[in-house]
Amino acid sequence: MTTLAHPSAVADPRAVVAPPSSWRRVLVALLRRPTFTASVVIVLFWIVVAIGWRLFGVDPFADTGVRIAPPSAEHLLGTDRIGRDVLARLLAGAEPALQIGPAGTLVATALGSVLGLVAGFFRGWVDTILMRVFDVFLALPTLIFLLVIVGAFGTSTLVLAVAVGLLFAPGIARIIRSATLVEMGKQYVASARMQGESRLRIIVLELVPNILPTIIVQATLSLGSAIFIASSLSFLGLAAAAPSPDWGLAINENRVYLQGAPWTVLAPAIAIMSLVVAVNLIADNVKEVTRR
Amino acid sequence: MTTSSPRPVTTTPTSRGSRGRGLEALRERHSGIPALIGKRLLQIPFVLLVVSILIYWLVEIVPGDPGRNALGPYATDEQVLLWNQQHGFVGSVLERYIHWLGGFVTGSWGESIIYGEPASDLILGRLGNSLLLGAYAFVLLVPAAIALGAVQAYWEARRPDRVITITLMSLAAIPEFVIGVILLIVFAVVLAVLPVHAAGDVGDNPLLRLRAMTLPAITLALGYLAVLARMVRTGAIESITAQYHRTAVLKGLTTGEVVRRHVVRNALIPTVSLLGIYLGTLLGGSAVVETLFGYPGLGALIVTATEKKDIVLLEAGVMVTGLVALLALLLTDLLFLVIDPRVRFEEAK
Repeated sequence: MTTLAHPSAVADPRAVVAPPSSWRRVLVALLRRPTFTASVVIVLFWIVVAIGWRLFGVDPFADTGVRIAPPSAEHLLGTDRIGRDVLARLLAGAEPALQIGPAGTLVATALGSVLGLVAGFFRGWVDTILMRVFDVFLALPTLIFLLVIVGAFGTSTLVLAVAVGLLFAPGIARIIRSATLVEMGKQYVASARMQGESRLRIIVLELVPNILPTIIVQATLSLGSAIFIASSLSFLGLAAAAPSPDWGLAINENRVYLQGAPWTVLAPAIAIMSLVVAVNLIADNVKEVTRR
Repeated sequence: MTTSSPRPVTTTPTSRGSRGRGLEALRERHSGIPALIGKRLLQIPFVLLVVSILIYWLVEIVPGDPGRNALGPYATDEQVLLWNQQHGFVGSVLERYIHWLGGFVTGSWGESIIYGEPASDLILGRLGNSLLLGAYAFVLLVPAAIALGAVQAYWEARRPDRVITITLMSLAAIPEFVIGVILLIVFAVVLAVLPVHAAGDVGDNPLLRLRAMTLPAITLALGYLAVLARMVRTGAIESITAQYHRTAVLKGLTTGEVVRRHVVRNALIPTVSLLGIYLGTLLGGSAVVETLFGYPGLGALIVTATEKKDIVLLEAGVMVTGLVALLALLLTDLLFLVIDPRVRFEEAK
C-alpha cells in the first residue's frame, strides 16, 4: 500500500510563494535601480542625522549673536530671526520628522492588517460592519479627522502616531482584505481546514506568510504619506511647540521673513522634500519589483 | 493620503448579455437611477450623524470646561456656571448632545467661544471664501490634468510620457506648504509679480483679488494634478486600444468624431469618479494652503478652533466640511449617470 504524502507537505505555501531565494531576488532587482539606491542613501542619511545629531556638536537653540545672516562660511545655511544657526536646526529637525510618520505607519500596518485579515477570513456580518466603518472613516476629510483627535487628546507624539495610524489603517485594511479573499479561494486553505487546523493557526501560519509581501508594500507606500501628513500637522502648529527645530514648524515660523531671509524657509522645505520624495521612490520601486 | 474608495464602477461588460439593450433596458434604466440616488441620500445623514456623535464623545474628553475656556482663568465659578447654562453645556452627555443636535438641525449652531460671534455666520462666511478658492483651483486643475494626460497617452511609454510621470509623481509627494513656499519665493520674492498674502489690501477689485488668489489656487491644484493626469492617461489609453475604437475608425468616422464621441467620453469615466472625491476635499478648504497664504478660509478657521479648543466652532465646522464632501460625492454619482450608460444598466439589476 502506497503511503500518501501528508497534504501540508505537498501544498506548503511558505515553500512556494516566498522562499528566501525570492527575497534575495527582489533585493538584487531593487539594488540595480539607481532611483532606489539614491533614495536609500538619502533616507539613511536622515536616519543617521536624526539619531546622532547631538554627536555633531551642533546646538539648534543657541543664539549665535548674528541675526538673519545670509549663508556664509561660518554659518553654511545662515541664521534665523533670533540668531540660531539654520544648519544646526535643520539637522536636529530630522529627529521629530522621523518620529510620528514611521510610528504612525507601524500602527496603521498592524491595525490595518489585523482588521483586513479578520474581515477577509470571517466574511459575513463581521466583514460588512468593518467595511461600513471604513467607509465612514474614508468619507472624512483627512486633516479634519486629525484635528478632531488633536483637539480631544492633545499633541503628544504618542497621540499623533496613533491618530496617523488610525487614519491610514482603513486603506491598508481594504487591500489586505482583498488579498485575503484571493488567498482564501486557494487550495491550501481548504486543506488546512480539512486537517482541522484552528482558525487562529490558519490565519497566522497559512495566510499571513502569503500576504506578507502585500503588507510590506502597503507599509512602504503609507510611510511617505504618513511623513507628509505629520509634517503638515507640525506646519499647522499642531504637532511640535515653539522652540522645537521641527521642519514643518520652522517653515511656518519663518514664512513671515520670506522676503528678507528666504534661506530660513528654503532649507527645511528642501529637507522635507528630499525625505518624502526619497521614501516615495523607495515605495514605488518596491511595488514595481514585487509585482513581477 | 488615504486611498479613497472608488465609486461603484461594478461594470462587467461581458456578463451583461442582451439584457442591456432595447426597451427592457430602458425600463431598468429608469428604475436604477432613483435607487442609486436614494442610497446616497440616505448615506449622507447617516455618516454625518455618526461623525457628530464621534466628535461629541471626543469633546467630552477635552480637559477643562467650556465655560472656563471661554472666560479665562480670572472668572469666578458662578460666572462659569452661568455661561455654561446659557450655552447649553449642562446635564448629561446625552442631554447635551440632543440639545446640540436640535440646535444644529434648526440652524442655531451656538456662539463661538473664541470669537463670541454666532458660529453659523463665521463658518458660512469662511465657507464662501473656501468655495471660491476651491473653484479657482478646480478651474486650473481640470484642463491641465486633461491636457497632460492626453499628451501622455499620445506619446505612451515614450520620453514625454515618462518625463511628465516622474515630474508629477515627485510633485504629488511634496507637502503643499513646501510647494507653496517655493512658489512664493519664485513668484512673490524673486520675480515679485504676485503678492505674498492671499488676502492683503486688495479691496473690492475682483481682478486684484483673483490675482492674489492665484498662488494659493495653483498650490492647491498641484497636489491633485498627478493622480488626475494619471487617470486621464489610463482612461485614454484604454479607450484607444478598445474594440469600439477600432470599429469607429473602420466605419469611417473622422478623427474629430472618434475622439469626441468615443475616446473622450470613455476616457473621462475614471477621471470623473476621482474628481468627485477631490471636489469635496478641495471645496472643504485646505487648512495648510489657507494657513500658508493667510487666506481666510474654512480650513484655517477649523485649525484655529482646534488650537483654541473652541468646541462649538469645531463641531459646526467639521459638520459643514463633511456635508460638502458628501454632497460632492452625490454630484459625482449624478454626473456618472450622465456620462456612463453602463452604470444606469448595472445598478438596476
